[in-house]
Amino acid sequence: MTALTLEVHGCRYRFSGLTPEQAGRVQGRFGPLLRSDDGHADVPIDVHYTPNRGGFMQRPAGPREYRVAVAHRADSIAVAGIGFTANIDRRPFRAQLQTCLVDDWFLGAFENLWRVVASYALFARGALLMHSAAFTDGARGFLFCGRSGAGKTTLCGLADRLELEVLSDELNAVAERGEAYELRAMPFAGDFGGLPAPHPPYPLTGLLGLAHDTAARLDLCSRAEAVSRIVASCPYLNADPVEIDALTTRVARLVEGVPLRILSFAKDTTFWNVLDREYGSHRTALSG
Amino acid sequence: MYWTVSMEATAQRYRVDPHARFRVLDDEGVFILQDAGEVLVVNAVGAFIVERLKADASLDEIVDAVTERYEVESTQARTDAIALVETLLKAGAIVKS
Repeated sequence: MTALTLEVHGCRYRFSGLTPEQAGRVQGRFGPLLRSDDGHADVPIDVHYTPNRGGFMQRPAGPREYRVAVAHRADSIAVAGIGFTANIDRRPFRAQLQTCLVDDWFLGAFENLWRVVASYALFARGALLMHSAAFTDGARGFLFCGRSGAGKTTLCGLADRLELEVLSDELNAVAERGEAYELRAMPFAGDFGGLPAPHPPYPLTGLLGLAHDTAARLDLCSRAEAVSRIVASCPYLNADPVEIDALTTRVARLVEGVPLRILSFAKDTTFWNVLDREYGSHRTALSG
Repeated sequence: MYWTVSMEATAQRYRVDPHARFRVLDDEGVFILQDAGEVLVVNAVGAFIVERLKADASLDEIVDAVTERYEVESTQARTDAIALVETLLKAGAIVKS
């Protein structure tokens, strides 16, 4: 059995108990995030391979998207999906994965669990994982929260045409740093694709929601709407009765520091003119 | 539909669903519906009404409070309050006490 340590923004996730085939797939997918395994972990995750397919949710005949089941309990979080079940202990924070998978489907189980684990690990460290698109021009970071259908992938495609660096069209993180916030890329690429790669944090310059219109423009929204949009974009935690009050408080603090604006955009690149002009004069500097 | 509120039955009391959270921000209200992972925003009048619901006021008492606070006709206040309560019941944000 093999143990692999993956590091994302200083947090070390150690996956132990991997079969050689499972480890090979993880290395192939997340290689740039691998660190030498010295046994130290911020988040230990034990993997148990159980070749009994009958004990798990069956895989469908063809490719399809499905929603991972997450059940919140007072002291743990249970997760289940195709070919795996998992349990995350709140204190001490750790996870156990049971799976019958070793082929390509294993990566799906692995990443599905890691997303849940990462959302809690980040939250414990003062950050927020959001369903969002994010890109940077190298100096400024822009994050667009919204669920499926909001236009995140479309916007990332347009940003890519402008040679802006897309971090993800699915999940990104925001963390408070000093009196400012920073945007952190996560290794979960979504439909826009790309292999995970380490990114430095970027100053969170623009925090935006998305709307479709025939012309690009920015609108303010109320703090209540801002909080509602962001809380709705924080997966797993926004359905967790243990964390929901702390989540709402943290989101309210975020929108105090970085007001949410609504970007209406057509399917063209004119949105960037609007963003660049609006945020050009007050670039956010990271303190410390 | 089970969430329809009768115009006559306004002595009914309601409370926030145990699986929901409600918070007021700058007068507006935010419901977080944990089971659905959804969020609902209500305007200032809506937030006022929900705060009264949380204080165990009946719909009749809430209509009186809205009429006094916002200087609207009682009939209009009743219609609006019932519409909001129906919406919140349907969304799973509140339940009957």
